[in-house]
Amino acid sequence: MILQQCANGIFLGAVYALFAIGYTLVFGVLDILNLAHAAIFMAAAFAALWLTSTGFPLPLAIAAAIVFAGLLGILLDRVAFAPLRRRNAGTLAPLISSIGAAIVIQGVARGIFGPDERNFPAGPLASTQFHLGPLTVGALDLVILAAALALMLLLSYVLRATPLGRNIRAVADDRIAAALLGINLERTIALTFFIASALGGAAGILIGLQYNSVSADMGGRIELKGLAIIILGGMGSVTGAVIGAFVLGLVETLAVASIGSSYRDAIAFGVMFVLLVLRPQGLLGKRALRAA
Amino acid sequence: MRVTILAAAACLAFLGPIAAPAAGGPAAGKTVKIGVIADVTGGAGAYGTSQKNAYLLAQEDLAAHRIDAGGAVLQFDIEDSATDPAQVVTLTQKFSGDGTALLIGPTLSSEAKKADPIAVRAGLTILATSNTAQGITSLGPCVFRNSLAEEQVVPEALGKAIARWKVKTAAVIYGDDDQFTKSDYDIFNAALQAHHIGVVDVETFHKKDVDFKSQLTKIASKKPDLLVIGALQEEAVKIVAQAKQLGLNVHAIGGNGLNSPKFIQLAGPAAEGVVVGAAYYSGNGYAGNREFVQRYTKRFGSPPDQFAAQAYAAAQIAARAVKDGATTSEQFCSAFKRLPVVQTVLGPVAFAPNRDVRAASAILQVKGGAFAFFK
Repeated sequence: MILQQCANGIFLGAVYALFAIGYTLVFGVLDILNLAHAAIFMAAAFAALWLTSTGFPLPLAIAAAIVFAGLLGILLDRVAFAPLRRRNAGTLAPLISSIGAAIVIQGVARGIFGPDERNFPAGPLASTQFHLGPLTVGALDLVILAAALALMLLLSYVLRATPLGRNIRAVADDRIAAALLGINLERTIALTFFIASALGGAAGILIGLQYNSVSADMGGRIELKGLAIIILGGMGSVTGAVIGAFVLGLVETLAVASIGSSYRDAIAFGVMFVLLVLRPQGLLGKRALRAA
Repeated sequence: MRVTILAAAACLAFLGPIAAPAAGGPAAGKTVKIGVIADVTGGAGAYGTSQKNAYLLAQEDLAAHRIDAGGAVLQFDIEDSATDPAQVVTLTQKFSGDGTALLIGPTLSSEAKKADPIAVRAGLTILATSNTAQGITSLGPCVFRNSLAEEQVVPEALGKAIARWKVKTAAVIYGDDDQFTKSDYDIFNAALQAHHIGVVDVETFHKKDVDFKSQLTKIASKKPDLLVIGALQEEAVKIVAQAKQLGLNVHAIGGNGLNSPKFIQLAGPAAEGVVVGAAYYSGNGYAGNREFVQRYTKRFGSPPDQFAAQAYAAAQIAARAVKDGATTSEQFCSAFKRLPVVQTVLGPVAFAPNRDVRAASAILQVKGGAFAFFK
């Protein structure tokens, strides 16, 4: 049983990681907490759902919805963040405008798709199970785990070894200096939003498939945990967020296995509190991204 | 959102082939205002939307004389409380002073506990259609309820499942942060004790949780004969799906929270075989139910759930009281107390002396992707 519980924890952690990667990227670059990340996560899931219902094959629908999420991220930046950035509004005003944007996106989704939960048509991906000795593992679990790890590695590579990554890191480090060096600030920020939102969108679609449920408030379920994860990982650290996600997933699962399900969240957040007391800057601190 | 529709019964008396001539009762020609508070949007939006749809349909059916109100006009004023207790209170205050003769709603038990005392002080008669918590009708001398409570359906369903499947041990999973699912647990637990069933594991979850695998893995390791689910539809779907994914192939039973076409639609094959103790079965053969299901499905694109049926039955009960002459709140209260058995889409319904409903429960099982009576 304990082996199955560890597997459960790792797969749950992968789900959290997918959400947290994009969340932490925007924070690392712009020092703002984008609370509309969960709304884009949801919008992408609905986009993919709508596309499959119009007859698109699932992989194509997923790809298109991810691009849609990225574009929505750019739009979000133009509408909710860019005007405040131009006026040097600090970090609290964007926080509020991102909450506003989240409410608008949720309202639109609810208006179009209604308050009910929707689900993807049943497919082989969601229903295939593997039995490895005592372990039961779903095909989708493996896809999500692979996607979380692959996207983390890809993002680390982009940040470390590409001109775009260099620009993003430069903007993250010192926006004014980066602009003085000739980096196109707005373009770099727009691309950051595109990447972060596309990642968030991918998370929404895969999680919608995994739990077979897409609804206007699906982002709310993961938002708080995502926030806890990126703080635990070290705000702005992509690798830290992934590690934080697996820590949370495992702690939650093992809390149920060993102590009791009523205390699942209390134990999970308690452990995170202790870790933060020991390491207030988070597991990998803020510098990991900037030094990467 | 505000939807006010006039059922112009007199004008429409000659329309439609089904329309029977209006029988002139003591309230003939009078307009009776009925206030409806429903959570059309917000967290409970799925339930409130079903309720709103049912009143819209009832309004049309009154106008076409499919429901007989003795020649009176029933005017439903449907207000959206948006799953916000403050808005429920505001709307209750509004209906307390605007000539409303009967208040139907609100959607949730927790809302009723806040709002009903206000309406009771204003002398309003209340008909609850979806408040299943204990003690709702004792909030006031004119608070009625037409929905069967969990304790009226769950023990019977459980007893039948235990006998049918020769259950010796059971495990329970329930939401411990919700009044409805918590009382589901209490009721199931008491019934399990009464049947001397060994409870091998009790697991909990919280509202909006999506991952139940760790709880279900633990339950699977205890090898129970029966999985008892105290959950609302949203979580129940994921519980049965993840149980199947983990290879936990045991009989399962749940309460009213699972009684929704959505449960089957979303859970798919994982819902097969699940037994549900419920207050309504859309396939029941009671008078008028088949037509109700057909017209509702045609009008709103999905079949009615329990919330819609209970709301429609409330309109049928209100119409019956109006037919007997009730036009004021006081008259509604005494008419409900004297109410004979009314034929509704839920089946024959009457009120007990404690103003709770007397009706047959439905013990259902998911078979071939639809609910059927559990035999």
